[in-house]
Amino acid sequence: MTADLGYGMTLIALGLAVYGGVAAGAGARTGRLALIESAQHAALGVFVLVTSCFALLTYAFLTFDFSVRYVATNTNLGTPFYYRITGVWGALEGSIILWSWMLALYTIILIVRHRVGARELYPWALATMLGILAFFLLVMTVAAPPFQRQAPVPADGRGLNPLLEDTGMITHPVALYLGFTGFTVPFAFAMAALITGRIGDTWLVLTRRWTIVAWYFLSLGLLIGGWWSYHVLGWGGYWAWDPVENAAFMPWLTGTAFLHSVMIQERRRMLRLWNISLVILTFGLTLFGTFLTRSGVIASVHAFTQGSIGILFLGFLALVLLTALGLVAWRWETFRSEGELDSVVSRESAFLLNNVLLVAAAFTVFFGTVFPLLSEAVRGVKVSVGAPFFNQVNIPLFLSLVFLMGVGPLIAWRRASLDNLKRNFLWPVALGIAAAAAAFALGVRSLLAALTCATTVFVAATIAVDFTRATRARLRVGESLLPAMGGLMLRHNRRYRGFVVHLGILIIALGVMGSHAWSVQTETTLHRGETAELAGYRFRFDGLTAVEESNHFKVVGAFTVSNGRVLGVLRPAKKFYPQEQAPIAYVDYRLGLREDLYLVLGDFARDGSQATIKLQVNRLVSWIWIGGVVLTLGALLAILPERHKSV
Amino acid sequence: MNQKRKLIVGGIVIAGALTYMIYAGVTQSAVYFVTPAELRAAPVPGKAYRLGGMVVPGSLKWEPRSLDLSFTLSDGTATVPVRHKGTPPDLFGEGRGAVLEGSWTADGYFKATLIMAKHSEEYKAPHDQSEAGYRELLKTLRGEGR
Amino acid sequence: MKRLWRWLIPLAAVPVLVLLAYGFRLSPRDIPSPLVGRPAPGFALATLEGAPLELATHRGKVVVLNFWASWCYPACYEEAPVLERNWRGYRERGVVVVGVDVQDKREAALKFVGDFGLTFPVAQDLKGTVSVDYGVYGVPETFFLDRQGRIRVKHVGAVTDDVFRTTVDRLLAEAASP
Repeated sequence: MTADLGYGMTLIALGLAVYGGVAAGAGARTGRLALIESAQHAALGVFVLVTSCFALLTYAFLTFDFSVRYVATNTNLGTPFYYRITGVWGALEGSIILWSWMLALYTIILIVRHRVGARELYPWALATMLGILAFFLLVMTVAAPPFQRQAPVPADGRGLNPLLEDTGMITHPVALYLGFTGFTVPFAFAMAALITGRIGDTWLVLTRRWTIVAWYFLSLGLLIGGWWSYHVLGWGGYWAWDPVENAAFMPWLTGTAFLHSVMIQERRRMLRLWNISLVILTFGLTLFGTFLTRSGVIASVHAFTQGSIGILFLGFLALVLLTALGLVAWRWETFRSEGELDSVVSRESAFLLNNVLLVAAAFTVFFGTVFPLLSEAVRGVKVSVGAPFFNQVNIPLFLSLVFLMGVGPLIAWRRASLDNLKRNFLWPVALGIAAAAAAFALGVRSLLAALTCATTVFVAATIAVDFTRATRARLRVGESLLPAMGGLMLRHNRRYRGFVVHLGILIIALGVMGSHAWSVQTETTLHRGETAELAGYRFRFDGLTAVEESNHFKVVGAFTVSNGRVLGVLRPAKKFYPQEQAPIAYVDYRLGLREDLYLVLGDFARDGSQATIKLQVNRLVSWIWIGGVVLTLGALLAILPERHKSV
Repeated sequence: MNQKRKLIVGGIVIAGALTYMIYAGVTQSAVYFVTPAELRAAPVPGKAYRLGGMVVPGSLKWEPRSLDLSFTLSDGTATVPVRHKGTPPDLFGEGRGAVLEGSWTADGYFKATLIMAKHSEEYKAPHDQSEAGYRELLKTLRGEGR
Repeated sequence: MKRLWRWLIPLAAVPVLVLLAYGFRLSPRDIPSPLVGRPAPGFALATLEGAPLELATHRGKVVVLNFWASWCYPACYEEAPVLERNWRGYRERGVVVVGVDVQDKREAALKFVGDFGLTFPVAQDLKGTVSVDYGVYGVPETFFLDRQGRIRVKHVGAVTDDVFRTTVDRLLAEAASP
């Protein structure tokens, strides 16, 4: 019953989306407003229907309606209330519903915001949005229907994947998908620009904030994903270069490139072709990511189940890429009137280099991810490359990017004079070198760590130089200190809020470097009362207890941690879920600014007399999360409207 | 024109450097996926392998105090003795599939540096003795707690 | 002046798409079975009811050997009706479906068989030795044996009507023309 209702609504939504897309396209061609209005109504209908589907599925989860197959697969009678809601998007079918819902939501916002302002581009953008939405609804009806009847109705469901029973799992997919789907809007406007031939600045101005929104959510999704990996998976890392992580990282890289190259086009009328291509690439990569995680073509730790959905996605990816690139070819002549680069030492070229490096990084990640496929296709052997490959190739790229982060915002447009360079970079460079020397004096012997220190200090100094200079200018006009600084943030939002994001990246860079260079770990087996030692900390094994929860039971170890004085008790556990064939480790940790203590219960004797543990002292990891907060805060500030018109 | 040439040269330098880094990265960190039979046919000591197979029932030995783990991996036709230092992962056990990363040693065994347990949704390795075993464990530990 | 070469731009996407499409030809979960092409390891087990079940007795027929368990939801639940339907459709034509229940409890397995009304023979592999002989990584996995008793196809995951029919039809056709 529920299943049929939901399936019916999906079908109608699909019909409406197809109709709306065609109507918007026809309206755009003929200029008939009635058609466009009709398309808008269709879009509203789709939004209402998809929202209802989502609500219906949530209701089915909350009421344990096992006659819906997806519910039976992803929940059971013991699943707590909280996770019955997150279970809605815990697996493939639900994630597609969530995705469609977000697309429909973005479509509505697009209609509200741009219906009046962008007469030429808007109808085509709407048509593109509805077309893409129609595809996802097609997936929802054909390949991965969330509403499918289950007969015979099982007495109890299988239960949610226990690893997903975590608060991070509520926000992580939501943020990630908001980011992924967010890039659809810039893509839709890029298509509109190509179709109408208006590839000037209008589409960029219209989509700038959209891009930041998408970028914000994608960054947030990646960070929460890292946090989830760190505190749930129990391997002590936050990033494993798994195909699924890579899939989200690639559009982030090209999206970041786009955010920067936009500024050159606005300022210098350059890189129009490059910008259009970047948007196509970014959107293509979001589709590729979805394809990758849902097709089963490349093995991954957290892949969804496979099915016909992969072929559907590949077909759609082909359609999108061929159409978009075909349009670029069709409009080729219009791209020719470009501004020229005046000098290699200029802000333009710094930005250009930043773009090239970001795209290069995206390419390496792509290459490493599809490498198993490539090697099997070309040489017939199954070969894969792991984290060492990605680290080795990307670290130089990222270090250069961080360095450019200091250069780009301060160097002069067009042609930088020696004076400009000296004025802006003398102090930062000196400080950077001093930082490296200080690190060396303090006993840092890793070249990479020293380089990272030098670069981050250099960039931080450039930001400080710029910020003090601008504040001083305002103080001279008579503003007092705090309002002057606040005014900078609010009025020149792009520049100074951008700096906040850069600062966040710097902090993350330090955290990543620290955790790579200085973390230590060991593994050992303790009898009750015995003590293990690591990096000055002592861990005493006090015993095991068993606890029964609503849908599982767990064995909890108690370990007293001390370094001269007692710091507390860590309680890592192993959770036993009846539907899982193996226990799930539950990590316990103690976070700190300097280092985290991280404890995993590996194995234990059944009488509770002995436990095998993995201990880690992870250095500076907390700074990754702090940097993440700073970064997302900066991006959030950048989304707020600029206020300088009102002054 | 001069600027354009500089750009082109710069582009070529970057592309060249990138190609080299990727090439070097691949040659240094490539891992070959093999089955026990394929490994037995042509083992190269020191080469990085990813070995997939099933843990033969009765072959698993786990020494918690010294953290020595040893077992035999089979694909139905050939078997490979494996040694590992460290706790077996959660999804690991006799009669279950496992994917190992490591290398073949001259002493005639596979030295695993990493044991991977895949977490997929429907395709699961066979169940443990299941609930009965867990309940018993629960009882023991409860008794200990009192 | 018409520049035709610009239409080559979209072609840049083609190699990538072809590579991804190639990915469908292989499945990374398909851990290659060296058993394919070799004689199927024989076994003698007992059915759930306790009757003896020996693989050798089915020599000369096309055998569909299915490893499953009652706790394997949803994949085994998906394929159970498919197996039963095709067993009924093909049994007159020299095809036999044999289920091997892996690491399961007898009552749970019997309930599963009852719920789905399975009529093909099901053996219980209590010790898991047969699973090891066949290199089974998990359930469900299905092996298709030809009339000479050789393993010809290994299928990982739930069997669909399509997989069952195309594979069995092929084995039947070749066996008819020796």
